[in-house]
Amino acid sequence: MKAIWTIARKEYQLAMRSVTSYIVFILFLVISGAGFSASIFKVGLAELRGLYSFQHILFIFFIPAITMGSIARERSNGTIELLSTLPIRLTHVVWGKILASTMQLATLLVFNLIPLAIILIFGQGIDIGAILLGSLGILIAGCAYISIGVFASSLPSNQVLAFIIAFFISGFFYVIRYLLVLTPLALVRYVQYFSFEYHLSSFMRGVVDVRDILFFLAVIVIFALLAEFNLQSKNLMQER
Amino acid sequence: MIEIKNLSRSFGTLRAVDDISFSVSSGSITGFLGPNGAGKTTTMRMMVSYLRPDSGSITIDGKSIYEDPIATSAKIGYLPEHNPLYDEMLVLEILKYVADLRKMSAPSFAQRRAFVVANCGLKQVLTQKIGTLSKGFRQRVGLAMAILHDPDILILDEPTSGLDPNQIIEIRELIRELGREKTVILSSHIMQEVQALCDRVLIINKGKIVVDNDIDKLDDYLNDFQMMHLELEGEAIDFSEFLEYHPELELISAEAGEHNIVLQLRIPSQSDIRHDLARYVAENGWLITSLYTQQKSLEEIFHSLTKEVPASLTMPDPMTATELARDEEEEI
Repeated sequence: MKAIWTIARKEYQLAMRSVTSYIVFILFLVISGAGFSASIFKVGLAELRGLYSFQHILFIFFIPAITMGSIARERSNGTIELLSTLPIRLTHVVWGKILASTMQLATLLVFNLIPLAIILIFGQGIDIGAILLGSLGILIAGCAYISIGVFASSLPSNQVLAFIIAFFISGFFYVIRYLLVLTPLALVRYVQYFSFEYHLSSFMRGVVDVRDILFFLAVIVIFALLAEFNLQSKNLMQER
Repeated sequence: MIEIKNLSRSFGTLRAVDDISFSVSSGSITGFLGPNGAGKTTTMRMMVSYLRPDSGSITIDGKSIYEDPIATSAKIGYLPEHNPLYDEMLVLEILKYVADLRKMSAPSFAQRRAFVVANCGLKQVLTQKIGTLSKGFRQRVGLAMAILHDPDILILDEPTSGLDPNQIIEIRELIRELGREKTVILSSHIMQEVQALCDRVLIINKGKIVVDNDIDKLDDYLNDFQMMHLELEGEAIDFSEFLEYHPELELISAEAGEHNIVLQLRIPSQSDIRHDLARYVAENGWLITSLYTQQKSLEEIFHSLTKEVPASLTMPDPMTATELARDEEEEI
């Protein structure tokens, strides 16, 4: 457990030192800020639902950018050999990476306090519950994307490739809602269950459904296990 | 005590390590010697359980290393071949990071840190970014990380690569120091290094062990003859009489100048002809201007062993090796 924290802390510290993360952060905040101001002036609703669903789209692009290097860089630098020969398990490595990216995402989402403050100051009839649960929802969905991103990062040793893989898997879970029109009616119930949007919607309404939380947790755990499995088999094989 | 039995590993069709067995006793320095791609790194990676063998077993003190990988890796200090490090971290930070992952307590880390900083000469670079270090310093950082937790077993893959001669001496001194109490296994393709450091040498070629012997026994392994370079000065030198008198000598080359002759002789190690030679030269009124003998170095043994030899030949008989060595000299 301590190993997870050690790895996460080191990753987070290094990320906070690199210029790339600041570029990613600033881009994310500028785009989501623009989206927020557009929605608040046009629609004039004192809520963050619009911002959250906009940020959800941004996640598809930005979370792979945060996670793409997590394991791929360890492999291309060869430092995975160092980690693999220390008295820690690969699970610790994977969860440490997920935790580090989650910390980065949380840091990023702290800036949502600005739109929140604006709404609190100028808005009326605010549903605080919906806002709080919405931010919880967006964080937990972000974690699911992070887990996907870390898994994608464990596949190739090339970061760009890791980004693309993560983008497509994340995109699949996002777009699935829009594919529902193409699915046979009998299957819609099952297919829509894989949509992140579907599970997020109850959070946005300010309702907690344990099934939604369980869905996201399951996604996180499954992709973390896949990443670990993949790392393990790559270590053992090392085919060149 | 590390025991390796029938270890094999292939990458695709390439058999990197081919059914090797050996054991390493505690408190000794063992050197892996071999050309590039001989299987040294693959073997070492398997010993630190980074790579799984296709077949065979590795045991430390009678326990398989796969039984409890965490406990095993706690016992081992490993310096990987290319010494991968996090370029963005400071030297101090990476030491702390490794110590944390190895679950070292704060006081023992402080004590060990002082030790490795002093012994690996890291004092001046402690607060420097690893990415800005020279190769020699990187190597020292890697070594410091490997010995930080005071492991019983040290596995060092080419520990002195990239160092300058002074640093090499320092690092060798450190390894020798560590080898007094710990089991050290190091790989190298530098012959002198193994000769200078190790108690025992394993020469690996094409995934097979070609020689497994103590370093001082290796000398007489193939060293049943030595080369003598002799330069004489005088008029009308005729050396054939002496050669007839000593049939064990073999004339390799003779270059006659106007007033001198340079001879190369192959003589059996056990025979000492210097007295006879001096007397013979004096009787003829010539002068010896130069005389020296050359022991066959580990380098030559290595070279002759790792040249193209039939795959079935695991232990070359001295005759073949001698012939190989002779071929080589003729090429030169």
